[in-house]
This record gives sequence, structure tokens and C-alpha cells, in this order.
Amino acid sequence: MSELLNENFHVEKTPLFDFHNQMNAKLVSFGGYYLPINYTPGIIAEHNHTRSSASIFDVSHMGQIEINGPFVMEAMEKILPISFSKILPGKIKYTQFLNNEGKIIDDLMIHRTHNENSVWLVVNAACKEKDINHLRENLNKNFDINIRDDLSLIALQGPKSELALLKLVPGIVGIEFMSSCWVSYKNYEILISRCGYTGEDGFEISVPNKHVISFTQKLLENSDVKLAGLGARDSLRLEAGLCLYGHDIDLKSSPIEAGLKWSICKDRINSADFIGGDFIKDEFRKGPSRVLIGLLPKGRAPAREGTLIYDSNDNLIGEVTSGGFSPTLSIPISMGYIKSSAIDQKEVYLDVRGKKIPSDKVNLPFVPHNYFKKVN
Amino acid sequence: MTEIFYTKDHEWIKVNGIEGVVGITPYASEQLGDIVFVELPQKGISFEQGKDVAVIESVKAASEIYSPASGEIIETNALLEENPEIINDDPLNAGWLYKIKIMNKEDLKNLMNEEDYNKLIGV
Repeated sequence: MSELLNENFHVEKTPLFDFHNQMNAKLVSFGGYYLPINYTPGIIAEHNHTRSSASIFDVSHMGQIEINGPFVMEAMEKILPISFSKILPGKIKYTQFLNNEGKIIDDLMIHRTHNENSVWLVVNAACKEKDINHLRENLNKNFDINIRDDLSLIALQGPKSELALLKLVPGIVGIEFMSSCWVSYKNYEILISRCGYTGEDGFEISVPNKHVISFTQKLLENSDVKLAGLGARDSLRLEAGLCLYGHDIDLKSSPIEAGLKWSICKDRINSADFIGGDFIKDEFRKGPSRVLIGLLPKGRAPAREGTLIYDSNDNLIGEVTSGGFSPTLSIPISMGYIKSSAIDQKEVYLDVRGKKIPSDKVNLPFVPHNYFKKVN
Repeated sequence: MTEIFYTKDHEWIKVNGIEGVVGITPYASEQLGDIVFVELPQKGISFEQGKDVAVIESVKAASEIYSPASGEIIETNALLEENPEIINDDPLNAGWLYKIKIMNKEDLKNLMNEEDYNKLIGV
């Protein structure tokens, strides 16, 4: 039996580290932080609990960044392919930092706040430094880039999340999906963002570090709410067809290839006046040379990242970027890029340890999203 | 009389005469977490001690199983095909992987007894 080796570089602890240990978490290093891969129930149980009830994930490794200064929205529009004129105050938008070649430096959430001189970003842990450098290079020195490492971040995900959160903060009733607000809890302020990475309704909650354990414990007093680790987070996001940076998207991939065209503002594609804009405009017009698709390998063997994809004539047409077992569907599922020229092939073949496994191509997500829709 | 031996890679082999039954230890099963797929060797094929003979896939990752002794595969656990989670439920008995005809019992001298294995995993 081979075992996975931990990375040897310095690994940080989140403010919930001691709590995870108390809760018998199995800790691994991820994105430079010790985080639970799972707790006692295990990945599948935690996954299923999230789909049916509500789970708390420690995502404090992610970077929370506040950028302040006059005309900050205009400045950010020069960097990102979004239009703040189409984002109401209090709303959140999914977007990507692109390089000059239109390739993805990181993907992130950006909040238009109620203060026109301030935006709020949530970025990937492993990309924090790269993102800050990118911002410093492309923003005027007058802007204050404030890394909010005074705040932890927990995700509460699943259909029973709202009910659980309302018991603590009744004021957030009916908050729309992809919107955020600061609210008071006890004697401190928390930022509640209705978004997530599981395909379910849910929230990401920014809590001051010194209060995050007690806040988490308070949520866990509700028997519908349990802890879940990175393992379940990964299988949930894969079922939801959501890209993971460093795997499905990276500096070699563009948002058009990755099926993230929907996140780019149409008007901005034409004007191409953002970093990487010319490449995106060109690729949008010509179509990408490869596309990200969903794959259902026949049988039970998971086809993991790095698995090569062939057509029926044994031509190499692509590679799996994320793959594993779907607890919801009880079958293996994979995501990967194939050449656009192969898109009409009905069946493709995945090379798993030398065996060519026939696989159906399917649209993403594998499991339908269950996001909150406001009923008027 | 059945004897049990362990490898440093967390496989066990129960030996009765020249027949051995191979599986993974409870420690390994726990480390792997939920097992979702097992790829077992074909009957009639021979493997050398220490060679990768099977693959166990958990939700997290694929792990190779190394043969604790040289020999020929005489049977595999067919139940695992549809219900690989049996390994998690009962790694030492119902969750066995395959049986081999042991070629050379000298191989067993390279393995650990229960006491030494427990020391290795810190029990």
C-alpha cells in the first residue's frame, strides 16, 4: 500500500486548528494550510449529509481581500472582465484574474459592497501571493489592498443551511443567492455571503478569528448541522461541475475553454478593455481549441486527474483534470478537456492503468444545482 | 494452523500450509477511508513478493497493493466487485482480496508478526 506524502514546506494553521483536532479530524496540508480531509464519519457520509442537510467546512485558508480607494470599481474593471454597472450593491460575482494571454491566474468571488470606494474579494489559498502581486502591478499605488487575515471563513452548505443560520442571525432572512451583508452577532460583526462551492444553497461566513470556534460550536448545536472536510468539498464541487484551480483551470487554460464564458460580461468581450481582453475576444470569435466536458466512465473504476482520453480510433484527444467517485450517483465521474474537433464523438475512451474504458460525454453539472431562488 | 504476517505497507497474509489469503489491515482501511473500487489480479497469474498486484481506490485516491509473498493467484474475492466497502467494514475477514499458492515460504521471513506490526503503527 502506497501512502500519500505530505508536502514538506511550511504549513500554516487556521484559527480552527485546535478545534479540528478536538473533533478527531484527519488533517492534511492543502494550499499551505493544515485542514481536515474528513472527520470521523468519513467523506461519503459528510458528502451525503451536505446534500440532505447542512455541513460546516473550514475554508479559512482562502484569501479575503478588501480593496479601498476612490473609483476602485473602475480600477477593478480594467483588471477583470466584469461590469459593476450590472452588479447591484451587495451582490457577488464569480470571475477570474487573467494574464495578458487570457489565461487564468486565479478564480475568485468579488463583492460589490454598499461603499462605492470598497470591493471585497475571496481568492484561492495557494494563489494569494500571486493575486496580491497581480493587483499591486495593475492597481494605482493609492489603493489600499487589505488582506483580512483577522477573519476566518467558514462555509455552511446544504438545503438546511438557511434555517440553521437564521437561528443565530434572524436578520438575514431572504437574502438572495450571490449577495452578502455585514450583520452583528453578539458583540461582533460577521460578513454573510450566500454562495458556496457545493452546488447547494449555503453561506460563507467571515468571522473574527477569536470568535470563530464559538461561532462554529453555536451552529453545531443544531442537530441538522455537522462538520465536513476537504474530501467532501471536493466530491461535492465535482458533482456540481465546478472548476478547481490548479486542476481544471490554471495558467494554461482560458475561461472560454473551461466553460466559464457565462461569467464574462458580454459587453466587455467586444470592448476587450481588460487584462487578456484581446485574447478572450479572439477566442470567443474563433471558438476554443479544447473544451471542458463531463465524463461518465463505464464500470466502477474512477478515472482520476491525468487520465488520458482517446477517441474510437485510438487518437489522443484530451486529459482528465478532476475525477473520482460520485457519492450521490454512486458511479465514477470525471471532468476533462478534449479537443474541440472531437466534440461530436459520442463515446470516448479513458486509459485507466492501461485499460481503455468507454465513457459517455455529458454536460456539466453531474448533479443539478440546488441554489436558493427567491420567490416573489 | 493459520499464521498471520504483516508488511510495512499494511497488507496482511494469513498462511495455512502453502496457501495464503491477502488483505489490508484495519489501520490501512481507516487511512484510506471510504473504498469505492478494487482492481484484483486475474486467477492463474503469478506475482513476485513486493510487486504491485492490485489497486484499491478510495474516494480520495488510488493505492497499490503489493504482494506479501511470491506465488500464483488461486482465487479473488468476487464480492468486492459490487461491494468494495466490505473492506472498510471487515478488513481482516470478509474484506480479503485474493488467495495465493505461496511459491517459497522463505518469503514470510521478510514479513512482520502482529507485535512488530503494531509497533510500526504505534498501537
